[in-house]
Amino acid sequence: MSDSFAVRAENLVKVYEGTVRALDGVTLSVEEGELRAIVGPNGAGKTTLMRILTTQIKPTSGDAWVLGHHVVREAGKVRGAIGYVPQEFSVWNDLTGYENLLVYAKLYGIPRDRRKRVVEEMLEFMELKEAANRLVRTYSGGMIRRLELAIALMVKPRVLFLDEPTIGLDPRARALVWSRVLEYKKEYGATVVFNTHYMDEAERYSEVVTMMNRGRIVAEGEPGDLAKAVGEGDLVSLSLEGDTAKALDALSRVPELAVVSAKNPVLVRVENAQRQLPYLMEALMGNGVRVKEVGIRRPTLEDVFVKLTGMTVEEAEALGFRGAAAMRRAIRRGG
Amino acid sequence: MSLAKALTFVELELRRLRHDPTEVFTRAVQPILWIGVFGTVMARVRAIPTGSVDYLTFITPGVLMQSSSFIAMAYGIMLVWERESGILKKVLTLPLSRLTVVLGRSLAGAARALTQLFVILLVAVPLGAKLDLSPIALALAMLALLVGAAGLTALSILLATFMKTRERFMGILQAITMPLFFASNAIYPIEMMPAPLQAFSRVNPLTYVIQALRDALVYSNPVACLQSIAEIALFSLTLVALATLLLGRIVE
Repeated sequence: MSDSFAVRAENLVKVYEGTVRALDGVTLSVEEGELRAIVGPNGAGKTTLMRILTTQIKPTSGDAWVLGHHVVREAGKVRGAIGYVPQEFSVWNDLTGYENLLVYAKLYGIPRDRRKRVVEEMLEFMELKEAANRLVRTYSGGMIRRLELAIALMVKPRVLFLDEPTIGLDPRARALVWSRVLEYKKEYGATVVFNTHYMDEAERYSEVVTMMNRGRIVAEGEPGDLAKAVGEGDLVSLSLEGDTAKALDALSRVPELAVVSAKNPVLVRVENAQRQLPYLMEALMGNGVRVKEVGIRRPTLEDVFVKLTGMTVEEAEALGFRGAAAMRRAIRRGG
Repeated sequence: MSLAKALTFVELELRRLRHDPTEVFTRAVQPILWIGVFGTVMARVRAIPTGSVDYLTFITPGVLMQSSSFIAMAYGIMLVWERESGILKKVLTLPLSRLTVVLGRSLAGAARALTQLFVILLVAVPLGAKLDLSPIALALAMLALLVGAAGLTALSILLATFMKTRERFMGILQAITMPLFFASNAIYPIEMMPAPLQAFSRVNPLTYVIQALRDALVYSNPVACLQSIAEIALFSLTLVALATLLLGRIVE
């Protein structure tokens, strides 16, 4: 049953130092050729999941397979089939871009007669030809990311794991990284699994989204379908002056309206905002509520997260901060 | 295990050294002082019995090993740094066995340490050290240094799996390298030491590397040299094996 999926995980648990539960029973399946985003706030367990899938660390319990190979028992076979770009920089900045590719090509075991061609080809594909003989120290963040992608793609992996691939990059550099990833996927039919805490990026680029919070999967599906979990229709956010109680009271009398978040700014879902907004405003003003600002938008993954966890991504990160800090310490010390 | 892949780590190190060779020269300052100042002064005092050879010649292999051992032992800092960056994570997802990684990096550390052979010969010979510079002697010295420094680099990698910050690593490094140097036959014959120290120096790997270097460069005794190298190899292989077993710790 594990054979038909590019990635399969069953009930993965990872406990650091016997106390910090980074993964708390994660089960997921990624089909071959799929572009999968794993989203969630910092500390949700995304990186731990990816490090288990890429054979760096062993799960405390549970199993996982990549292309049918078990990540612990057949780690060698998994390593031969995957490409991986970690969140932190993974190139030697005191070597040139060309040298980094060459050294990694040798470590991957690419035969001598093909090595030079592969390196040249990747430099071309990642638009790094002109910078190839400069020390990586002089590269921009976007160039370093593309160099790392070039390294990961040299062996034409069937599954590509990217941990926060565009973190810290400006919009232009982000777009360029994504155009290269999408082109590679199209050309080779590869499976791509990426972690991100940018919900908009997951929405825009992925085919299926897995949403995580505190070591568990809280939702999974196509971005459009997930957004429907919040409900069909439009979202209206109401920035209020003072207490929300009077407003919520007034809103409860408006038909065909659901409150998504009761905290200021209050978020409500309506069937059709253009038609219903006048009634909504009338009800609020009739109850003596002063509205400072109104916004109308389509539901996003952020809203899905709010609906499912009862908190915003920022709140989850702040709430999980102590837990996340403890986990980071545990990871640093090793346990 | 793939030797070609392991040697790629050596190539990596040599490429880095080519871009930035400062370490070769900064590490040369201390040995120059040991040989140029300490060695020449102590040679005049004639306080240390060194048999048929003069004192300057006697300490040259010792100082060479001191300088090389510092470089090898410091190699773990690189691993601590690579752990903080994404390099180590990336390397562990490559189709390489952990043994290839440890052996490769141990040889890489040894390659860095080997640079000291040329630096110290350039200093010691003009100052009057009478060394055997025949191809066989030099080849044996290189082999002894390579095998010894690879073992010490593996020890350094082993320490890096326990010391997760650079500060802690630097601290432990200081606490280990100087005692290893002073409790060896580097600057005086071990027969001069008090008995407990003698016992320690007989299990000190530096003693054996220095003995091998002396057999090669000073006494021109290849058989004795090879014997010491075999003993050093045992130590180095043990440490490579231990570091391989514990490498997983560093990324957890």
